Amino acid sequence: MSMEPTIIIRLDGDGRIGRPGEPLSGQYWIESLAADQVKAIEASVLWYTEGKGDQDMAVHEFWRRDIDDGGEIDPDRPERFVATLPNSPLSYEGRIVKICWCVRVRVFLHRGKELIAQKVFCLGNVPAVRATHSDEHE
Amino acid sequence: MARSFRYYGKKRGNRRTGSPAWASASEALFFAVLLVLGCCGLVLLFTTQVVPEWRVNYEFVSTTCKVLDKRITETRGADGMMYRPEIKIEYIVDGVTHSDWHYDIHHTSFAGRDGAQAILDLFSLYDKNQENLFCCWYNPADPREAVLVRGYRWWVWLVFTVPISFIAIGAGGLIFALLHWGKSAERRAAMTQRAQDRDLFAAGGRGDRNFPFIPQGVNITNSPGTKLQYRLPVAGSVGWSLFIALAFCVVWNACAAVSVVWAVHGFAEGKPDWILVAFVVALLLIGVGSVFFLVRRLLVVTGIGLTLVEISGHPLHPGQRYRVALSQPGRRKMNLLLVSLVCAETAAYRQGTNTRTETQEVYRQELLRREDLEIKREQPFEVEFDLDVPVGAMHSFLAGHNQIHWSLVVEGDVARRPKFQRAFTVIVHPAPGDHAA
Repeated sequence: MSMEPTIIIRLDGDGRIGRPGEPLSGQYWIESLAADQVKAIEASVLWYTEGKGDQDMAVHEFWRRDIDDGGEIDPDRPERFVATLPNSPLSYEGRIVKICWCVRVRVFLHRGKELIAQKVFCLGNVPAVRATHSDEHE
Repeated sequence: MARSFRYYGKKRGNRRTGSPAWASASEALFFAVLLVLGCCGLVLLFTTQVVPEWRVNYEFVSTTCKVLDKRITETRGADGMMYRPEIKIEYIVDGVTHSDWHYDIHHTSFAGRDGAQAILDLFSLYDKNQENLFCCWYNPADPREAVLVRGYRWWVWLVFTVPISFIAIGAGGLIFALLHWGKSAERRAAMTQRAQDRDLFAAGGRGDRNFPFIPQGVNITNSPGTKLQYRLPVAGSVGWSLFIALAFCVVWNACAAVSVVWAVHGFAEGKPDWILVAFVVALLLIGVGSVFFLVRRLLVVTGIGLTLVEISGHPLHPGQRYRVALSQPGRRKMNLLLVSLVCAETAAYRQGTNTRTETQEVYRQELLRREDLEIKREQPFEVEFDLDVPVGAMHSFLAGHNQIHWSLVVEGDVARRPKFQRAFTVIVHPAPGDHAA
C-alpha cells in the first residue's frame, strides 16, 4: 500500500508570530513522493482575507522551482526560505473581515494534479475584535 | 490531497471546486470565439459595405445616361414589405449601348413606399425635346454594372464599432487567459503585484511601499488647519449626493406628471384605464417620497452649518493621544452633539450577479457629548478635546473587497430639524513598535 504524499512546512522559532520588518524563515519538503512525479514546486508568503466579503489575496514573496528550468527537484530534500515580513497588513480577526498570513506550498504533479499545504502564522499582535472591544453602542 | 481533473464543480461562495485547467481552457475558448466572430464580422462588413462604395467612387467611370423608365420593386423581408427604387437607364460605352435597371451599388430598399418614390422623383424620364440626361457611373471591367448615385454612408463606420469591440474584448481576454494559463493563484497574484509595483514606480512612487494596503490619505493632510495641524475633509461629497437626489426627484416627478396627463386624458375621453391609474398612483407615491427626501437633505445641508474638524497629527497610531478641534456654526438649538471615534469593517461580496456591501461597526469611542446646546449666529460652537487611539487597535486597511475604516463621526440632534451625521476619515497606522522603521 503506497502512502499519500504529504507536504511538511516548518517555520523557525516558535513559528506562530512574526513581527514586521523581521525575517520569517523555515523550510519545506514533501514526504512519500518520487522525484519523477514532480513538475514544479511553488512556495509563497502571502496574506488572504476570510469572512463575509469576497477573498482578497496578495503575495509578499514567491519562489518557483520548475523542472523545465533545468535540474531535478528532489522533493524529500528540505528547501529553505527566508522573507522579510512587511509592515502591513497585520493579521486581524474582526467580525466580517479576517486577515490571515501563511506560507503556502503548491506542488505540481504530472497529469494536472496538484498538492497544496499551508502554514498559518500571525503578523503582529493585534488582538481579536471580540476579545478587546466592547459592544456597548450596538 | 492530490486533486484530479474535474469537468464540473460546485460553487462555494466565491470559490469553485472545478478543474482550473478546464476553467482556463473554457475561458480561452470563449475569448477566442469572440475574437473570431469579431474578425469575421469586420471582414464581412468591409467587403460588403466599404469595398463596393470605394470601387464606385474610385474605379467606376463617369458617363451620361437617359432615364427610360422607373419602378418600385416590392420584396418581403424579415421586417415586412420593403420597397426598392429602380430606374431603367441607357448609356453607351465604347460604341455599345447598355440598358438595364439600376440605382445604387447596394440595391438600397426602404421600409416605406414614400422613401422609394422620393428617390424616383429625382429622376425625370428622357425627353427628346429637353435632352435631359443624367450622370451615371459604370464599371469599366463590366460595363453592364452601373449606378446613378455614389458616395459614402457615414453610419457604416458606426457599425464597425460592433466587430471592433468583439475583437478588442476577444483579443484582450485571450491574451489575459494565455498569460494566466496553468498558473496558480499565488503566481498570478505575484505577477499582478510586480506589475503594480512597476506602475507605482512609474507614477512617481504614489503608493506607500512601507505600509502596503493602508490607504495613504493624501487628501487628509493637504489641508492645513487654523487651530491644529490638519483640517479633515468630510467623507463623501455632500454636493454630489444632493445633486443626485435633485436629479432623481426632477426626472421621476416629470415622468409621473406625464403619466398623470395620460390618465386624466383617459378620464376626459370617458375611457379610464385603471391599470394606468394604479401605475400613476405608485409613481406619485415614490415622487412624493423623493421630494420629502430632497427637502430633508436640503434642510440638513443648508440649515446646519459646515462642520469643521481639525486634528493635531496624522496618520494616527494606536496608544497615542491627539488633540481634536471641532467648530460647528449655525444659529441652532441642539438637543445633542456627539463626536465619536469609529472603526468599521466593510466587505463586498457577490450574490448571484449582484455585488453587495456590508459594513459592521467594530469599535466606537465617545469623545465628546454636549446636550442642550445653543449656538449663536455670530459665535460658532468651538471646542477642543483629546482623542486616544486605543492600544491594540487594528490599522486602516484597504483591499479589493475588504476594508477597515476609521473615522471621526459627528452626530447632531437639532431642534425641529432632521438629525445629521458627518464622518471625517482618519488613517490609523500600526503602532510604532509594530513596524519596521
